[in-house]
Order: sequence, then structure tokens, then C-alpha cells
Amino acid sequence: MSRLTSLLRRALVPSLAVLTALILGGIVIIITDLEHLSQIGTDPLGALAGAVGGVLNGYGAMLTGAFGHPDRIAAAFENPVPRTIATAIRPITETLVAATPLIFVGLAVAISFRTGMFNIGGDGQLVIGALGATFVGVSLQNSGLPSLVILVLAIAGAVLAGGFWGFIPGFLKARTGAHEVITTIMLNIIASQVILFALLGDALRQAGSSTPVSKNMSPWVDVPLIINLPALRLDYGFVVALLMAGVVSWLLFRTTKGYELRAAGFNMTAARYAGMSAGGSMMLAMAISGALAGMGGGFMVIGTVGQLSNDLSGGIGFNAIALALLAGLRPSGVVVAALLFGALTNGGKQMGIESGVPSQLLTFIIAMVIMLVAAPGLIRSIWRVRVAKPAPEIASVSPTAPAEPA
Amino acid sequence: MTATVPPGGEGVAATEIPTSSTASAVPQGEGLAARRALRDSRIRGAAFIGLGLLSFAFASTSFSIPATFLFRLQNQGSERFEIATTVGLLWVLAGIAAAVVGALQVWRGPTFRWRPWLLVLLFPFVFAILAAVLSGREANLTRVFSNTLELATPLTLGALAGILSERSGMLNIALEGKMLVGACVAVVVGSVVLGATKTEASPAGEPLIATLIGVSAAMLTGALLGLLLAWLGIRHKVDQIIAGTVINIGAVGITSFLFLRVLGSNPQLNQPPNVAAMDLPFLSDIPVLGPILFSLRPYVYVSIALVLVLTYMIYRTRWGLRLRASGEKPAAAGTVGINVVKIRYRALLYAGLICGLAGSYLPLATAGSFQLEMTAGKGFIALAAVIFGAWHPIGAFAAALVFGFADSAQTLLSILGAQVPPQLLNSVPYLITIIVVAGVVGRVRGPAAAGQPYEQG
Repeated sequence: MSRLTSLLRRALVPSLAVLTALILGGIVIIITDLEHLSQIGTDPLGALAGAVGGVLNGYGAMLTGAFGHPDRIAAAFENPVPRTIATAIRPITETLVAATPLIFVGLAVAISFRTGMFNIGGDGQLVIGALGATFVGVSLQNSGLPSLVILVLAIAGAVLAGGFWGFIPGFLKARTGAHEVITTIMLNIIASQVILFALLGDALRQAGSSTPVSKNMSPWVDVPLIINLPALRLDYGFVVALLMAGVVSWLLFRTTKGYELRAAGFNMTAARYAGMSAGGSMMLAMAISGALAGMGGGFMVIGTVGQLSNDLSGGIGFNAIALALLAGLRPSGVVVAALLFGALTNGGKQMGIESGVPSQLLTFIIAMVIMLVAAPGLIRSIWRVRVAKPAPEIASVSPTAPAEPA
Repeated sequence: MTATVPPGGEGVAATEIPTSSTASAVPQGEGLAARRALRDSRIRGAAFIGLGLLSFAFASTSFSIPATFLFRLQNQGSERFEIATTVGLLWVLAGIAAAVVGALQVWRGPTFRWRPWLLVLLFPFVFAILAAVLSGREANLTRVFSNTLELATPLTLGALAGILSERSGMLNIALEGKMLVGACVAVVVGSVVLGATKTEASPAGEPLIATLIGVSAAMLTGALLGLLLAWLGIRHKVDQIIAGTVINIGAVGITSFLFLRVLGSNPQLNQPPNVAAMDLPFLSDIPVLGPILFSLRPYVYVSIALVLVLTYMIYRTRWGLRLRASGEKPAAAGTVGINVVKIRYRALLYAGLICGLAGSYLPLATAGSFQLEMTAGKGFIALAAVIFGAWHPIGAFAAALVFGFADSAQTLLSILGAQVPPQLLNSVPYLITIIVVAGVVGRVRGPAAAGQPYEQG
């Protein structure tokens, strides 16, 4: 029973943070609802009701977009043919599809933060990984190899490419003390330029396309679907993501290397005193981090999307930071938080389409979530609950010191 | 020299310090650090000389390629001042400059202040590289240089904000978010005031008043965000990087949301007053230099003034001393009675004010309206300028100029159809940032206590 209570206590702050952030988002929706607000002089109650109705409309659309519309689910029960079933479960499968890259990049963020490295480069590492997978996939187009083999090779390419892109800031930090926040953000921007450059030539670009998009690789390589119904996109990438969560958990908590990584995160000086190579830990953590993000990109570009374009990542890096913090940097928590964020992202898109509340509000809500999780004192003062001190896994790192003495 | 061994063969062998007959003109320090500094300075000198030789090599093959640079003589009229040389000659000049600097470095040793000379070296090399890439085409450089100053302005202002924060001991990576919010607020408030002042008598409204009120609102909002960052970092001990990231993400979210939800259907809220370039009365009539330096937007002159003012305040006033003490060793400052917490709050407040000003530049002076995510990473480039400039306002200004030049040169090259892929040119400022941060141009040391929370008492 105490395991359950400790689980509940750990989930208290994150849950309240999400709830508070949603309420703040609702307030923002209300105060920007200029149509209803302009009627406040003539019909105050009606205006307020209308504004609140707008919030409920928006969040309702988000819920049904994330999990499913009750009407369509009822229709599926009445008439269980593939099409109705597919329409009914599409929202939740799309939520899982949205969650998959979030799991990958969330794990990447968790492992790097645990080592004391602020990896903000999830976006860049994901798209470079996707580029690696695209390169392998397009090169093997006419090789005659079976689709599964090409898939494995392409994912390997993604892992290597993403790992390299993550290794660079790790190397710079270890050898020169370059702050990884700045280098990873710069590499994100450079990564999008690299993608644009790669899509210039005819080698990768889709024939006859005026926008920088790569060839669609689904004809010759694809990730097998879990549920083979029309218009569903959920593929085994999701399963691999769950597997990787287990691998990362095993790596961090059951291997010596993982212990070294965590020790470097707790106290770099003490770790070095104990004989562990702090610079080596940094480089390894960033490389693994990039590799995970790259794997996510590889599965995105081959499986769910099918082709590479410049907006593949869609700002996933920052969402991943939010959910990793929410999860207390625990791999199991990352999966749960990624599912939640997948619901928010997927639902947010629907919210934008159906109710006219732009999905960018979610970015704001996510920022609020990070702020409330990182400063639990705010939760305490708002909700009057007893909260624990912030998790010690998040170590503050000295900003300009290199890992080893020069 | 010789080692004297005490009789018996045991004990420590004493080594005699070399006598002055073998010492060089450079004062030799003892110890590992001194020898390393000497070795680094020699490597640096050799690198400069090598660069000079490389330039001579380039020169030998390009004496036949013309290089024509044009400058506008005055603001009005189409007279041009022309410098016509060959690419080879420019490479020769650059090579001579590099060789001279290299010789000075080797001769003077570790005490030689090479960073200012690096800036001087930049000029001949930039001209040489520009000419080489243009390979014969004419280029009007007046616009390039005046744009350099203009493009550098938001970076300079952002860097000043960063310097103020970091000098007080608070890591401020929220420059990007504060600038973005400042841009949005300046646009909306400016548009509202401009629209409100439009009457029958003056159908164009009062752009000056609208600008001032809009900019003030932007500065206020930036200051509030600065206080939020300080509050999160000091009161709630949130890691300053996370707090900064929160503000950045929140800024993108809320401004994009506002843009799509409100500004889309109410375009009158996205029509701010325009801040045009102004001609300084006598100075803008100076030939060649006038159109480049003295016909710019008021923001540029404000930013230069701020650079000078802040340099004075940080290094020559008691307030500045307290600021630097809070950033270097807050515990020591606290024991002398300095209120470190108050100084940090104040520093972030001022930083927020300046960031708001920087943010208002983008829509009011250049774009003319608010666009989604219009800061496009400038806040982070400003951070790089802070490090590049060794946390000194003038250094940061110089760094901002370098970034501004990279930006405006890229525009020139793409207009003239030079054979360089645009993606490479676009990446140049960000690559330079990484190079700078990695200390390839020398390791700089920031305020020692930056980023660490401080407990009063």
C-alpha cells in the first residue's frame, strides 16, 4: 500500500501542475474572446457564459480529438465494420502516434538531464536522424533487399546520424566548456539548414516537387502497422519506443555505465574524484541522447510520415523537455507523460480545427506546466497542499567550466 | 643548467634556475600555466603568420580579377565613390596584416593583447574574401555597412541585457522570449494608440506618440518578465536555465496564439507606426561616411549610447562595482552589506527593459508588423555576443557588428547571385556562435557565480 501512496504522492505535483496550467489556458481563452467580451456591457451574464462556453468548447474538442468522439464510438458498436471501427479508434491511435516520437525524445532528454547536460537539441537530433534514415532508404531503393532489412538499416542510419549530432555539443562541452544550451540550440537551427540543403539536389528530393520534400519511401520501405485498418497510422514504432524506455531504464539503473552517468549528474566533482571520467560521461550521454532522438526521427520519416521535410519535428524538443521534467526524469514516467502530451498535441490540433482556438495555446500551457513542476512552491501556495522539494535528479551545472581541467 | 646533487646521492636534487644569459627578451614565468600560455601564444603567432602566407598564395593567382567597391557619396543623388583594385592586391594587404600581427604575437609573447588586433585584421580579410566571392562583380557597399549597423542593433541591445543579468550572477537565457513579447506588445499598443489618434484633422494619427507609448509598453512588459525570471530563480530556486526556457516557450506560445486568434481577425491591431531612418543634421552630409553611419534609425544611436553608458556604469561607478561583486562572489559581497538579492532583481529588471526595447525594434523599424516567431533566434545570438565580447558592453557591440555583417553580406551575395548556397550563408551566424562559445577565439571567463542560487544570510 505504501508503494501506491508514494506513487500517488509523486504524481500529485505533476497532476496539479497540468490542471493549473489548463485553468490558466482557459483564462487566456476567455480574455482573448473579444467577441463575447465586447458584449459584457450589454449582457454581462450572457457574455461570461459565452466566454466560458468557448473554453469548454475548445477543451471538449481537445478531449474528443485525443480520445474519440462518443458518437463515432457508438456507431462502431452498432455496426462493427472496419470503416466504423477505424473512425472510432482513429483519435486514440493518433494520440499514440503523436506520443511515439515524444517517448523517444523524452527519453533522450531524461538521460541527458540526468547526466547534468541540458540537451535542448532534440529537434535537430531528430531531423538529422530522419535525414540519415532517408539517405539509407533512398539509396537502397532499387537494391532488391526485403523491406524489413531496409528498415533495420535505415533505423541504424538514423541512430548513427542522430548520435553524431548529439555527440558534437557533448564533445564541445567536455573539451572546451562550451555551454550545451547554446550549442544545441545553434545546432538545431543549423540542422534545418542542412535538411534544406540536402533536399536541394535531385538525389533525395521528390521528383517534380517545388517544395523541399523528399521522396516518399512507403512504396519500398515501411514500418508494419499494428492495426491494419483504413486511415490508421499506428505502427510498431510505438512498440519500439516502449522497448527503448525499458532499455534506458535498465541502462541507467542496472549498469555501471548508467551509474557513472547519474553520478556525473549529481555531482560532477565528486564523480571525477571517484575516478569516473566526467568528460566521457558527458559525451556518452549526449551521444545516446542524440541516438534516441534520431531513432525517433527515423521511425517518423519511414513509418508515420513517409517522407522528409523541414517541419518534421514541429518543436518537439521543447515539449520533450516539459514531459521529461514532469516525469521526474524517470523512463516509466516519460512514457506516461508522453501519452499525456500526445493526447494534448493531437487534441490540440483538433481543437484548432473544430473550435477555432489556435493550437499554439498548448505551447503556452506546456510552458506553464514546466514552470509549475519546476517551482512546486507555486503549487503549494495555489492549492495549499504539502509538496516535497524539487527532485534532486535535476542538478544545476556550472555554466562556463569545462569538464576536465584544460 | 646543472643540477647539484648533495653528497651521498640521496635527497632531493636541486635544480639551478637558468641564468640571464639564456633568458629571452620575454619575461619567463615559472610553472605549468606560464609555459602553457607561452606555448599557446607561439602557436597563435605561427597561425597568424601561416594565415598571411595563405593569403599571399591566394593573391598570386588572382591579380587579374578586378574588385570594384562602390559607395554612395551622399544620401541624395546617384554619385558613387569607387574603389577599384584587384582581388590579388586585397589578398596581399590581408596577408601583410596577418604577418605583422603574427610577428608581434611571437615577439611579445603571452602578454600581447591579440583580441583587439584580431578585430583590426578582420577588415582586410573581409574585403578580400568578399572580393574573391564576388569574382569581378561590382558591389555597392553602402547598404551593406549601414545594414550591418541596423541588423546589429537588436543583437547589441539583447547582449547588453544579457551582460547586466550575468554580471549580477543570474543566467538569463530568456532574452529570446522577452524580445518576442516586446515585439508583440509594441505592435499591439502602438497600433491601438495610432488608431486612436487618427482624427479628421490628422488622418495619419500621431506616429511619434504611438511609437513612444508602444515602445514603453514593450519595455514594461519585458521588465515584468525579467522580474518573473528573477522571482523564479531567486525565490523558488528554479534552475535558471529551466526558468529561462519556460519564458521562451511561453512567449512563443502566447504570442503565436494572440497572433492567430486576435490579430488575424483584427488587422487594425497589427498596423504599428513605422520608425524610419533619420538623417543627423551635419554628420550625414559627410561624403561616403555620412550615408553609412549617420542616416540610421534612432534605435541604432540609442543602442550605441547605451553601450557607452553601461560601460561607464559597470566599470566606473559604485553601483557597477556592487553588480560585479554580486556576480563574482556573492557571499563576500553579502558580508560587506551588499544586498545581493536586490541587485539581482534590479539587474533583471533593467535587462528586461532593454530586451523589450530590442524586441520593439524588429516590427517597428524593419518588418512593419508582427510575424509569428519573428525573433528567429536573435536572443540566442545575443547570448553568443555576450560571450564573444567577454561580458564587456563594447566587446558585445563589436560581436554584434560581426553577426550583423554576416547577415547583410549574405543578402548582398544572394542578390548578386554569387555561387554560394544560401543555406551555407544562412548558417554562418550560428556556426560563428558555436565557434565563439567553444572558445576557438580564446577562452573567456564569465562571472564566477553566474547560475548559482544565492542564500542571503
